[in-house]
Amino acid sequence: MSENLFDRLLERKKDATKTGTEPFAMQYFLEGFLKAFQLLLSRDPETFSAIYATLRVSAYSMLASLSMGIPAGFLLGYTEFPGKKRIRLVVDTLMALPTVFIGLMVYAFLSRKGPMGDMEILFTLPGIAIGQTLLALPIVIALTATAVENMDTDLRTTLISLGADRRQLFFSSLWESRFGILAAAINAYGRVTTEVGISMMVGGNIKWHTRTVTTAIALETNKGMFEMGIALGLILISIAFAVNISLSFLRKR
Amino acid sequence: MNSEDPIYRVRDLRHSYNSHPVLEIPELEIDKSSIVGLMGPNGSGKSTFLRMLGFIDTPSAGEILYKGKPEKPFSPAVLSHVSLLPQKPYLMKRSVWKNILYGLQLRKQIETPEQRASEALHRVGLDPAQFGHRHWHELSGGETQRVALAARLALRPEVLLLDEPTAGVDAANIQRIKEIALEARAEWGTTIVIASHDLQWLHEVCDLVFHIFKGRIFGSGHESIVFGPWFPGKGNLWEKPVPGHQPLVVSKPPHEHAVAVFPRESLKIAMEEKTGQEGLHCMEGTVSRMTLEKNSGRILTAVRTGSVLMTIPLTEADIRNLHLYPGRTVPLHYDPLAVRWM
Repeated sequence: MSENLFDRLLERKKDATKTGTEPFAMQYFLEGFLKAFQLLLSRDPETFSAIYATLRVSAYSMLASLSMGIPAGFLLGYTEFPGKKRIRLVVDTLMALPTVFIGLMVYAFLSRKGPMGDMEILFTLPGIAIGQTLLALPIVIALTATAVENMDTDLRTTLISLGADRRQLFFSSLWESRFGILAAAINAYGRVTTEVGISMMVGGNIKWHTRTVTTAIALETNKGMFEMGIALGLILISIAFAVNISLSFLRKR
Repeated sequence: MNSEDPIYRVRDLRHSYNSHPVLEIPELEIDKSSIVGLMGPNGSGKSTFLRMLGFIDTPSAGEILYKGKPEKPFSPAVLSHVSLLPQKPYLMKRSVWKNILYGLQLRKQIETPEQRASEALHRVGLDPAQFGHRHWHELSGGETQRVALAARLALRPEVLLLDEPTAGVDAANIQRIKEIALEARAEWGTTIVIASHDLQWLHEVCDLVFHIFKGRIFGSGHESIVFGPWFPGKGNLWEKPVPGHQPLVVSKPPHEHAVAVFPRESLKIAMEEKTGQEGLHCMEGTVSRMTLEKNSGRILTAVRTGSVLMTIPLTEADIRNLHLYPGRTVPLHYDPLAVRWM
């Protein structure tokens, strides 16, 4: 398995040209699939380091973005104030921020000559987490606000009719919109764990330190190690799957 | 609250959405422990008025006195004492049991909330053992409405406001809602206001029925309403063509799409020819429905001529003397000049 898949495929291509049979493209995926199992079962330290970095950095950024984004999004959707529409427009636009742009901005702020250079967190996981928080925050705010705005108008009537005061009305409404907020969180988590731009630019893809699963995929692909890249991709999907399963108890049915 | 104070006294109530007036009620009183109906077509302002009475929304102008005092949404005098069941009942995303307990637990002084909840479910005809643990999405539309009603009955409210409680409900449950309303009044002295467009059912349940149209309340619900358009007729009179019949003749309307209101005393069923006398006009119609009015014992007789429906309160003796029965064709006499315009 240590041999380069790309070379082996080239070899097979030559064979195929001789015998008149083309190489099977699914081969990449099969090899990658087997490799993923092998990496996980053998507890490959390099792979586990990348998984650990991904989980840690995404935990930081999700914690930060949810704790800021849910209250902000709820207030944005729940209350009426002048300029609300304009703020919504800005937040919705920020949802489309390119990760490389966030990476660039955070890099500029955190680099030695930047305004936050003294913190010395460039090329660290907390540095990546700052960038990923900026990535997740507009998603959490916008989708939470949408969930709250889409709440049934009869909810308010019902809660007041059952005797809820203003405070109880607020918290009961928040709890009623939990499925929408959960969807916002899962969406943001998906963006955070799969982004490359921020991790690469702010983290620097340092082996054993800031190499996440996505930056590892980018590196392996550059090296021509497609099977390794596919294996890491499958591992990333498994992480997302595990997160979704563990949150499924909160789902509607 | 003085014993003479009505439970509601509405004064100069006005409400508008985006500067478009939707409600205008100069004065209205609702007595304690009465069952009052609000009859009107869709968009007439029934639901808006119920939301004001339920202290869900605040009117743009004017005030609503509750037990003699002006109250606002969330004030302790009305919170969990006045309960509104919206037309599309909403259940919170939790079990039936927790939906009913929600309101009871907010009112902390209730000692046996579980017993109250169970009793309320029985009242609406749902078995607590069978339905209590179901989730909100495991109920049919009718069951959802009954659970929502049970959640309000459990509170034993002073005022229960029902918005179109019979819309999309089967005959057995329409009867049940009537019984529940009467029980609530008898047991807890609950005042009940019901908005509906089912005039017959309202008259069966309510002590008093108000008509509401274009945000205005008028009379006691015994007026007949006829919609335009109106066309100039003979002399100063205008008329509404009724295909297959003589036109309906009225006094000059303020505009051609005005709504005509015929007071009950302006309508008469008489077999002998009266046309020409007392300025009365005559129109032939078919008796389409006869409903016993709950308190007065009079029989509300609906006479249909094409699309025009007139309701005349008659005594039992009138019915007997005139040999009236649904399906019979009768001459309907009316005074075109007695029409009021909206």
